[in-house]
Amino acid sequence: MSQDTSNTPEKDAILRASIDRSLRHPVMFFFTSAAAWLAVSIFLGLIASAKTHSPTFLSCAGWLSYGRIFPAHVNALVYGWGAQAAFGVMVWLMSRLSRQTCRNSGIILTAGHVWNLAISLGVVGILSGFGTGMPWMEFPSFVWPVLFLCYTAIAVWSVVQFKVRPEGHTYISQWYILGAMVWFPWVFLTANILLHCLPGHPVMAAGINAWYRSALLLLFFVPVGIGAAYYLVPKVTGRAIASYTLAKISFWSLAIIAPWAGMQKLTGAPIPYFLPYLGAAATILIAIPAIVAAVNLLSTASQAGELITNSPTLRFTIAGLIGLLIFGIVCVLLNLPESTLPISQFTLSGYGFDLLGLYGFFSLVMFGAIYFIVPRITRREWLSRRLIKMHFIFSTYGIGFIVLFTIFGGLQQGIAQEQFNSPWEQVAKAAFPYAIGTTFAWCFILFSNVFFFVHLTLMWLRLGRRSSHPTLLIDAHHGSPHGPEGDIDNAGPGTVHVH
Amino acid sequence: MTSRSFFLGLIASFGLAWLLVVVVPFFKMRDLKPIVLKEGVDTVEGATGPENTQFYFPKRTGRIANGAAVYAANGCYLCHTQVIRPTYAGNDTFRSDWAGRKDNGDGVDTRRETNAWDFQYEKFAQIGTTRLGPDFSNLGHRIEDEYAKGSDPARWLYQHLLDPRLEVDRESSKCPSFRYLFDEVKIQGNLPEYAFNYNAKKKTALVPDADAKALVSYLLSLKKDDAVPAVLSFGPKKEAATASAAPAKKN
Amino acid sequence: MSDPLHKPDLEESINVTETHGRIARQIAAAARENKLGENGNHPIPTWLIAVLVVVGIAAGSVFSNGGNFFSYDSTFRPDYHRKPSPDEAGGKVQPVPAVVAYSKKGEKIFTTVCASCHGADAKGSGNYPPLSGSEWVKGPSERFAMIVLNGLHGPTSSGRTFDAAGMPAQGAGMSPENLAGILTFLRNNKGNAVGDIVTVDMAKAAIATSAKRAKAGQQVDSQELDADHKKDLPGDKLDPNTLVDPATLAPASK
Repeated sequence: MSQDTSNTPEKDAILRASIDRSLRHPVMFFFTSAAAWLAVSIFLGLIASAKTHSPTFLSCAGWLSYGRIFPAHVNALVYGWGAQAAFGVMVWLMSRLSRQTCRNSGIILTAGHVWNLAISLGVVGILSGFGTGMPWMEFPSFVWPVLFLCYTAIAVWSVVQFKVRPEGHTYISQWYILGAMVWFPWVFLTANILLHCLPGHPVMAAGINAWYRSALLLLFFVPVGIGAAYYLVPKVTGRAIASYTLAKISFWSLAIIAPWAGMQKLTGAPIPYFLPYLGAAATILIAIPAIVAAVNLLSTASQAGELITNSPTLRFTIAGLIGLLIFGIVCVLLNLPESTLPISQFTLSGYGFDLLGLYGFFSLVMFGAIYFIVPRITRREWLSRRLIKMHFIFSTYGIGFIVLFTIFGGLQQGIAQEQFNSPWEQVAKAAFPYAIGTTFAWCFILFSNVFFFVHLTLMWLRLGRRSSHPTLLIDAHHGSPHGPEGDIDNAGPGTVHVH
Repeated sequence: MTSRSFFLGLIASFGLAWLLVVVVPFFKMRDLKPIVLKEGVDTVEGATGPENTQFYFPKRTGRIANGAAVYAANGCYLCHTQVIRPTYAGNDTFRSDWAGRKDNGDGVDTRRETNAWDFQYEKFAQIGTTRLGPDFSNLGHRIEDEYAKGSDPARWLYQHLLDPRLEVDRESSKCPSFRYLFDEVKIQGNLPEYAFNYNAKKKTALVPDADAKALVSYLLSLKKDDAVPAVLSFGPKKEAATASAAPAKKN
Repeated sequence: MSDPLHKPDLEESINVTETHGRIARQIAAAARENKLGENGNHPIPTWLIAVLVVVGIAAGSVFSNGGNFFSYDSTFRPDYHRKPSPDEAGGKVQPVPAVVAYSKKGEKIFTTVCASCHGADAKGSGNYPPLSGSEWVKGPSERFAMIVLNGLHGPTSSGRTFDAAGMPAQGAGMSPENLAGILTFLRNNKGNAVGDIVTVDMAKAAIATSAKRAKAGQQVDSQELDADHKKDLPGDKLDPNTLVDPATLAPASK
């Protein structure tokens, strides 16, 4: 928080508002297209999940076959929804925290469009049968250089803004966002160059792919999510972060531990023997940054019970933080090499773990951030309390069910797999009920995101509410959220000096 | 913490792990030294190297590179693995037909773990992500010995890809149908060697296309139970008298 | 914040209050935000430390399984030996009755070597004598062994000469296990049911005897067989139902 702003609170609010306005085109684009990709991904995921228990469903064409729809679903989720939501939040957050308006919105917007074009071609490529067969990297090989260039065009301005920021203390969220901005290109470039461009040993290539999947989750999505949460929780509750020491611990433990994780997915494969065990140990230790960050932020918000019920931002963020807590616990539970790793390694629980991180934590926090940021950049408030509530309820129930079914079902599947005397037909039946449950849960999530996408598109079309009163989930104002005198505002700017 | 120390810390913490876990193993495994077969100790066939040394080189016949690309593009790795884990990592070796053949006809148990030379000619080892279906390391043997017993393995496999649920004991199989890898062609004269679902009225049949042929060739080549040199032979300690003379290791 | 492009457009000619109100409304969302505080100094709760210690211990136990860290050359755990399958003794194939094991070995040889001449049903044809019901097959084992190892010239047990050249020797490079297998197979299958086992030791003795023959290297004939070899091979008899290892034919250790 900069100390040199001797401005009045009004001028400070004006600065923040002007930062928001300068970013409105790229950030709104990122959010809306991310939400569109989320809907696409969930739809594809639903079909894929249906095929795991009813393989004759939609079995007419090649592009609908499970082996192509599932990678299309995952890649759309990761690069279409996840990356773009992250970019929108990163760019906005860095701008705000560096107190610099964005002068390169045009370039960022163009890069966003090119990113979208590239992943569209990529998804079509996968569905047409040109997938590369490397999990999370199935896009045909022409896509990744384009993505890398787009990323550079998006992120470099934020780094510049950080460099020219006014003197002063760097806030917690900036560490995480800067970290993510450094880690993502390093991880992305490493994996793609080593797997696409340089000849190497086939099994080690699979190992590096496993490392990439873990690193993308733990060193890009998780830090962006935690960074956003470290901003949103104190902002909305008005209370200081419970413990600055815990914040430092949560960041540096993530930075030190996460790069070692990932190879445990290849336990038993012929790669240097210690690598999977190092990966398993590191993944277990990820519980530390996850639990510490979640506890820190949850205790910050713990006394603000009413606010959590009212504010969509806070509700989603707190739900996401609970997801982070569960993620940390699951990290430990699924990766114990003597007991649970052999029975979770080749099962649905790996998918469930990824979804817990990507949706149960990251996406819920991103939803919270989007509900916070969009009114500020469009200068309109959200249209409908009900749409937000539906989104929240269906999302949380949906992801809760998915995580429960896939992780528990995966372990059951693993136990059945290890019964070596059992014929395979018997073993395959173990996963069947959980597959059905998962499809059912995806329906919930699809439903929730239809509400979200519609709502966001209406905001994008400038159809939001003109008001100075935020859309809260509980009606506290005489039956109308518009205030006693309708749309006319009679509340002046806040009187508190803010960031 | 200053901005400078922050970035240094970031780079150091990531860079160390990146080097030790990604870069170094990548380059080391790229230059994996072939195992030189020792006279009298290793009774396996290998390839001939410089100075007439023999080194361990498991042979694989079939259209591996093309087939592997079709395998990858159609997502087979999402449900099938190709790794037999050592006993400290799983029970794969105990199954009778995954790790090899329990009885190869001569009473010899050929089952073994996957080793680093089992993925020759492939760019990316399709270790696999889940086991919704069985492991494929020795699918070639399994098809020949169990599934297609007595008949042409390729024919059985084409039929299976066309309709995995055809056989009575496979009703509950969740394998998708790969009908889209077959072309419907008009039949003039005799049926081609591999033709399925002949329709007498329309005089058409389903014939495997190039992708299907490559995939079947690849899948039938999956036989990873060849004899291995002593350093890769992890069988339980044998009595001195018997065949593969693994040097008695202290356990 | 002195960028002229983003300065609110306050011109003197405009009603300041009105403009102020408009601007205030436009920036209302930003204006109502709270201050970002990070300087809380709640103490770290003890239960949190306990949880983190448990996590650390779990991770530590994994490290101890990791073998030699940073040893890039070993792709397997050092000193790894395959654990024997829980339902198989010693990790070997299940032992089977001796007559089954020997016959299985012998059957392979029969189909690849003998059947081409003697017929798949061992009943012979034309130039090739039948083995099914043959006196020389079913009689004393040494006589049978000599024929297999050296071949035969002249008339068979039936008195008839089937082929001028006779039977070629089959003993070159034949291992004792294989010899024991084919002898046992033919004596107990294809229409014969002698009910005994020609053991590996007996086969070894046969090979030795064959090498020490006066006419070593030449086919035997019915005269030599009657004179020198009308006896059973020396060696301990083996009960046909004894359990043996199918690969080595050694009695299964218990």
